[in-house]
Amino acid sequence: MEARSSSLNLYNDFIRTFSNVLFAVCLFIAWGILTLIGVIVDQGKDPSVYFSSYAAPLARLILRLGFDNIYHSVAYVGIIALILVSLAVCTFKRVIPARLPALRPVKIEKIPLNASVTVRGDEVSVRQRIEHFFITRGWQIRKREFGGEEWTFADRHNWARRGVLVAHVGFVIIAAGTTIYWARGFSGDAAVLTGQTVTIPHTDTAITLHDFTYKIEPIATKSGIVYQPIDYVSHVTVSGKDSKAREETIRVNHPVDVDGTLFYQASYGFGMRFVVSKDGKSVPALSNRILKEGEVITLPETARQIQYSQFVGTIDRQTGMPSADPRTNNPGVVLNAFDAGQPSGATLAPLGKRVDLGSGYALVPQKYVMYSGLQYRYDPGIPLVGIGAFILLAGLCISFYLLPARLYVKVEECKDGACTVGVAASTVKGYDIFEQQFDALVAEFRGAQAT
Amino acid sequence: MNHQPMSLDQVMLVISLSTYVVGALLLILYFFSHDEWQRNLAVPVVIVGCLCQFGQLVARYELTGVWPLLNLYGSLSLFSAMSVAIFIVFAFRYKLWFAGGFVIAIAAMFLAYGLTWNEGTLPAVPSLQSYWAKIHVPLVVSSYASFMVAFVMSALYLVKYYFERNLGLTEVGLQPAAAGAGADGGLSSVAYVQDSPVRRDTPNIASAAAAGNTVALWLKTLPSLAQLDVLVYRIIAVGLPLLTIGIITGAWWAKEAWGAYWQWDPKETAALFSWIVYAIYMHLHTRSAFRGVRSAWVSVFGFLSIIFCYLGVNIWISGLHSYKM
Ligand code: HEM
Repeated sequence: MEARSSSLNLYNDFIRTFSNVLFAVCLFIAWGILTLIGVIVDQGKDPSVYFSSYAAPLARLILRLGFDNIYHSVAYVGIIALILVSLAVCTFKRVIPARLPALRPVKIEKIPLNASVTVRGDEVSVRQRIEHFFITRGWQIRKREFGGEEWTFADRHNWARRGVLVAHVGFVIIAAGTTIYWARGFSGDAAVLTGQTVTIPHTDTAITLHDFTYKIEPIATKSGIVYQPIDYVSHVTVSGKDSKAREETIRVNHPVDVDGTLFYQASYGFGMRFVVSKDGKSVPALSNRILKEGEVITLPETARQIQYSQFVGTIDRQTGMPSADPRTNNPGVVLNAFDAGQPSGATLAPLGKRVDLGSGYALVPQKYVMYSGLQYRYDPGIPLVGIGAFILLAGLCISFYLLPARLYVKVEECKDGACTVGVAASTVKGYDIFEQQFDALVAEFRGAQAT
Repeated sequence: MNHQPMSLDQVMLVISLSTYVVGALLLILYFFSHDEWQRNLAVPVVIVGCLCQFGQLVARYELTGVWPLLNLYGSLSLFSAMSVAIFIVFAFRYKLWFAGGFVIAIAAMFLAYGLTWNEGTLPAVPSLQSYWAKIHVPLVVSSYASFMVAFVMSALYLVKYYFERNLGLTEVGLQPAAAGAGADGGLSSVAYVQDSPVRRDTPNIASAAAAGNTVALWLKTLPSLAQLDVLVYRIIAVGLPLLTIGIITGAWWAKEAWGAYWQWDPKETAALFSWIVYAIYMHLHTRSAFRGVRSAWVSVFGFLSIIFCYLGVNIWISGLHSYKM
């Protein structure tokens, strides 16, 4: 028995807390703070990046609290889940009762927007004239009797009372759409070298890159030359589930759809063929690969590794240093050497130049081959997210631009061929917002009844 | 000295900036003196400036073939033009000219600051070569502009509120009518039949003004705190849907350009942060006890978050929006 009443209390506490708008606001604040942390702290970087950007204790804190990947953290997803729960509870416990109130009598003089108007005529004709006045101005009239007294309720934009519900439903649908991606969607990256074919895991799509082209233009600006990228284009052959090959062009803002998975132009790079030799003789095992930036060659029987760190488009012929021009005028590569995992040197080598690596090894950066960085994504939740966004927006517009107002009209007293009519008004957004309109309406009402 | 003739867009820019400065000065004078002629002169001056600024943006497009939206100079210029345009619409609709001096002065400052980012003409980087740029950028910038106008109104609210509070010992709180309505047994069941605690009258300012206090005399001419609160709400009610459509169109564009409609890029998330702040504003505003001073502070904070999202992220934090391959 006691257990039942304590669980009932718990349930009541839960409902009370989650139906409180201020609690929802607190959740919003927590959501906002977590979002802001993610704006300020770089996301998804290697731990070393945080240690180089922040003091060690702060970097440790960032990593320990998961601020390096905050948007996928339990806290972040949890806050959104709590907001959804609060939204659901609030909708039934607060929004519906508050926005869709029953027709009830009120104490007219206690409502800040109130007026008393004298209308000539007997009670029946006065009631008819009141009705006529409001109906012709677009108000919906309903009459009810309470304790033998007849009340007239005039509503404006009554349907728009549901605007908040529409906005809230929109948010829930967006959340559902994003959840579908988590459950059934996938995404990934594929770097395809010119002339090569890659097969995408998750799908049976094969992509062959025929060529990748880019266009960069030097533009004179007030602060010097800027090398502005103009276009990135991958010419590919794709074949999907039907195994039919088709030619496609993928460029930024123009993805290609293969069986519902979209392929986008995301990045590009310069693969490099190095010819490695030992004591003057080529080492085919090390020379047949094409390396991408960041990849390494391990020299056999040594503790040495050579990393192809970066491609340089133009080496300045005068200084021998990389120039700002990214186009391939005088290309070269930056190489890093590691001995037993420790950095032991770096060099910038023009294409075709032999670099001595020690222990009899030498290397020549021979030829670059462009690769195209493609991103792919299958997201079956997109239609739902789109519909949710549209509904949310519609709900916001209904809530903000239509002001449902209710007038309480009561014929108070009739004598000497005139009746005193009490009018009060309330809106879903308080009284101040309707004050001027109410004054104008009452003035018009008075004017209409004077004749 | 070698004087190059100014191009049409430069001429229009100079005209807009000068008219904004003149208009702002006249309207600030009007705020203090309430001489009608200052307002009557300022209004056409500001309208001409605003038209010239839109003309300048079109002329720049005609001259360069690039939409002047895709760098900070272009977008700040659009921001200032939209702020003035939105303000003009609101000023005519709700008689807001008293706040015009401050709004136009801020718009002029943003325009002048934008000029410092003018690097000449650059073609758009691949990701920005999309028709979405012409939809998304003006929407987002217009929402920022609305929030700026709301910020000015909130600041005026706060000045009036704190001046009233500091003048007297009485708390700026519930009106007697509100307490009566809320306490009524029959009424309390109708949840929304309660009054706003935002004051319609400011008796301390009124009596200080009668005693000749200059600041009180200025503040007395402002709309009541309750009206200012409603004005802030109405302007944010324009800005928030604009920001929402801005974020939605941005997400749509991101889907085309980068593959995912939401990448948690700093610019996107900063905009989401501002959206959350204004959602907080809207929810607090549904509670009568939180209307007025507290929601005015949220609006001020909201605009600071907009500045962070607009300038802070562009300048200090790099991400996909400062697109580098
Ligand atoms: C991010 C999601 C949300 C959005 C977009 C949203 C949107 C809105 C909008 C536009 C309004 C109308 C404001 C006005 O007319 O002044 C509103 C009111 C309201 N919202 Fe939300 N809301 C969200 C989340 C929540 C949550 C989590 C709760 C849960 C407590 C909640 C509870 C309410 C309540 C109680 C009202 C006022 C209803 C009334 O008193 O008439 N909302 N919301």
